[in-house]
Amino acid sequence: MLRPRIIVCLDVQDGRVVKGTNFVELRDVGDPVELARRYEEEGADEVVFLDISASHEGRGTLLDTVRRTAEVLFIPLTVGGGVRSEDDMNALLRAGADKVSVNSGAVRDPDVLTRGARLFGSQCVVASIDARWMDEGPGGPGWYHHTHGGRRPTDLEVVEWARECARRGAGEILLTSMDRDGVRTGYDLELTAAVADAVDIPVIASGGAGEASHLRDGFTQGNADAVLLAGILHDGLTTVTELKGALEGWGIPVRPGAQAGGGSR
Amino acid sequence: MSERSRPIDVALFDYGAGNLHSLAKGLEAGGARVTVTTRWDEALAREALVLPGVGSFGAAVGALAGEEARVRDALEEGLPCLGICLGMQLLFDTSEESEGEGIGFIPGQVRRIRARTVPQMGWNDVEAGEMDDPLFRGLPQMTAYYANSFVCEPTDAAYTLATSTYGHDRFAAAVRRGRCWGVQFHPEKSSAPGLRLLENFLDEVEGMAHE
Repeated sequence: MLRPRIIVCLDVQDGRVVKGTNFVELRDVGDPVELARRYEEEGADEVVFLDISASHEGRGTLLDTVRRTAEVLFIPLTVGGGVRSEDDMNALLRAGADKVSVNSGAVRDPDVLTRGARLFGSQCVVASIDARWMDEGPGGPGWYHHTHGGRRPTDLEVVEWARECARRGAGEILLTSMDRDGVRTGYDLELTAAVADAVDIPVIASGGAGEASHLRDGFTQGNADAVLLAGILHDGLTTVTELKGALEGWGIPVRPGAQAGGGSR
Repeated sequence: MSERSRPIDVALFDYGAGNLHSLAKGLEAGGARVTVTTRWDEALAREALVLPGVGSFGAAVGALAGEEARVRDALEEGLPCLGICLGMQLLFDTSEESEGEGIGFIPGQVRRIRARTVPQMGWNDVEAGEMDDPLFRGLPQMTAYYANSFVCEPTDAAYTLATSTYGHDRFAAAVRRGRCWGVQFHPEKSSAPGLRLLENFLDEVEGMAHE
């Protein structure tokens, strides 16, 4: 039985993990390598690095961070932010990422998803969709995909765009509700279910996690294959171990945190 | 680093794409000295061969570069081998994913997984069968990380050591023929239990060297 996943997201800027609400007021919360490893020990099923460095130097730092992380992290690592071409994807994969997420790059050149899937396998290609509700959207009221950290609207209606990303070769969708990001009132379940029901690739719900019941609802009502969270963990409000315990209590078959076996590292 | 009298010399074949770092580090943690190589003469000259699990079947067949018979001969002669995900699929004859022939060491085909949501992405239970195989020593209830759209179907079920269930499909999670193992999941991404499996493989390689 496939286990519903809990994914921890780290926003990385110039080699440090930062956290803000609605992409403003950034605070330094630690070293990405150390934090990623700590979350693996807590029982996280995957880690995502979202690079929000604006500068060229920041990109070089990111590859170094990924390299150092891959040497000590033994759960999957997805890296995104500023990926435009299959060369960018290759650089991140060779540095040690298992999957690469693409956002603005796919809007500009949707075929990059196809080329990435052909070269590296679709399981490496994650389409990142930042959804914001617009009462007066280009095609009427609805959720529209946003680029540039959620600041720039596009005319792409989210469910349609998700379908196109899947058709073009993406192996997974990371769906963030920009309306809920950082506010901790729960995932946008309506949005998540609309996308999860429309595509036949896995969907990760993101944006809005504040407590364990939100994760449960993401799986049971949002039909998400995985849930992503960040702030409540970085702030020390709870731990992955605690969240998994609560989910188990509700009958959600998450992967047990501590397994028999044990490596030798 | 594992308690081992000497490091095991392992070749990690590089098809030219994807992340090899975690697998190299995972093998080293189990007591291996890893050579990453794109050359088959070098890959077949070490104590053991590891075929990693990144890329597409077509790209990997391209990397075989017509050497499949030579690789098959080395495995027939007893070169210990571990194929991971795509590397496992490469041990078979052909794949629905793309044209070209695999190594053909284990008779059978690679076909698309039967489920609504593909790829299978995440942690799945590895279900018994021949779980007393030394590869699974100390891992009676393993949950392992998968990222795959295709699965292997050996012609003879006797090659299958363990299975997993996804969607409408029950498929081979692990296979073995002689000194060659294949696992459909990623041990290098399956946290401590996965590292244990890599160490078990190296233990077997060390034992075989004394036979």
